[in-house]
Amino acid sequence: MSATAVRVEQLAAGYGSEPVLEHVTLEARAGQSVCVLGPNGGGKTTLFRVLLGELEPTAGSVELSGRPAYMAQTERTRLDFPVTALDVALMGTLAAGRWWLPPRRTERDAAAVALERVGLGDRAGVRFGELSGGQRQRALLARALVQDARVLLLDEPLSGVDPASARLINRVFDELRSEGRVLLVASHDVESARSFDLVLCLNRHQVAFGAPAETLNRAALQATYGHELIVLEDGGGTRAVTVQHHEHGH
Amino acid sequence: MPSPLDLADLPFLREALLELVLLAVTGGVLGAWIVLRRLAFFSHAAGSATFPGLVAADASGVSPTIAGLAVALGYAGGVQRAGRAAGEGGRDHGEATALLLVAALATGVILASDVFESGAAVDRLLFGTLLGLDTADLVLSAVVAVIAAAGAVALGRTWSAVGFDPDGADALGLSAARADLSLLVLVAVAAVAAIPAVGVLLVTAIYVLPAAAARMFTTSIRGLVACALGVALAEGIVGLYLAYWLDVPAGPPVAMLGALVCLVLAAATGRSAA
Repeated sequence: MSATAVRVEQLAAGYGSEPVLEHVTLEARAGQSVCVLGPNGGGKTTLFRVLLGELEPTAGSVELSGRPAYMAQTERTRLDFPVTALDVALMGTLAAGRWWLPPRRTERDAAAVALERVGLGDRAGVRFGELSGGQRQRALLARALVQDARVLLLDEPLSGVDPASARLINRVFDELRSEGRVLLVASHDVESARSFDLVLCLNRHQVAFGAPAETLNRAALQATYGHELIVLEDGGGTRAVTVQHHEHGH
Repeated sequence: MPSPLDLADLPFLREALLELVLLAVTGGVLGAWIVLRRLAFFSHAAGSATFPGLVAADASGVSPTIAGLAVALGYAGGVQRAGRAAGEGGRDHGEATALLLVAALATGVILASDVFESGAAVDRLLFGTLLGLDTADLVLSAVVAVIAAAGAVALGRTWSAVGFDPDGADALGLSAARADLSLLVLVAVAAVAAIPAVGVLLVTAIYVLPAAAARMFTTSIRGLVACALGVALAEGIVGLYLAYWLDVPAGPPVAMLGALVCLVLAAATGRSAA
């Protein structure tokens, strides 16, 4: 059996005296992928902030296999900032702590390799703001890859991404899992959650956690999304979609 | 029409030229980050906010540099703290900058008009005396230029990561708060160094306008720093020569030239100077 890379026990966290997330317990072993589902304000970002060490839990415990890497949403970046795809990938080397020194040759090489891996080797010198939406997402993925972390936290990595970029990103995710890394992916896409090893449903508390076949049922999804959930019936079965708008919350 | 070589031959012009070169180095290095991090208002405010400290120092015989530094550093810390408490994501400094600037200016006006009755000294504090600098002013500008250059080299990667993606920078283990504070402090110190030459009201001309102009035709941070430095040097030299030729104080021509270059470039490139 693979070693446990992420273990969270009865986690609670919040801002000020207000708890935003409670009773979260999960465990992921090396090579597993976890889809974190939940509505806006459901606690996905709060969970990631706790895992990144930016927010102290008010209760419970967190154990991680090393410092996780984080892939932000492209909407949080400044498109007018004069940095290239290579500059963005190189930012990942800052996680090593040598922020006051220029990047070493080995770090430049690692950034170039990461860009090649996400299919941006020939776009390394292009300004981030001039890349397409999918290419920007891949540049941010390269920044996360450079950190060589055992655990990766990915915030809506396929949101607004073109099909070609989505295929490439999913291929990299498969490679990462085969290398024994753990992926925690925040998502709104209920149907794509079925392809993950585990699913965590959050709505300010843990609604469900386990294999997709156990967690993606109507009762759990309605407890997670409430009136934002629509279940579509078609000839082959049912399909669940959410109607929430894409925005940032807890 | 006087010879441009007088700028190098006449001692008072040579000192003014040296001061402008030193301020151009600081302006080129820090101005790039001021523009990239949208701190133009703060850099103007940091200079202006020293007004009450300078009025009090002028009346009481305390070193204006020390008084200005104390007020500017307090102002930078106050803006950073208030901005983090009030702003979205904790990094919106605009309202805190305005609030503390108004408080500082009001205090300065009361001190100048009702407490110390400073009179003519206020003009010098507001607009500077580029042609009446002493050695201490030049030394201060040189020290600040070195600190600004060293700070930008050591912190440039962090400022870049924080400016590009604050959330992502936090996740890299960088302290966005400390990065913001270090930049605000350096800008505040640089503003104080420029006050003897251009006064509290024209600090923007030295630190913001050259970088704002360079931003319109550069596509990389290194290019921005290099071009901002070059533009600041060119504007300083030409502005000083114009002041000598027209027999006017040197600060305003440098400022007017900076604004003119920005406007012309904005019209030519179709990009905003703001």
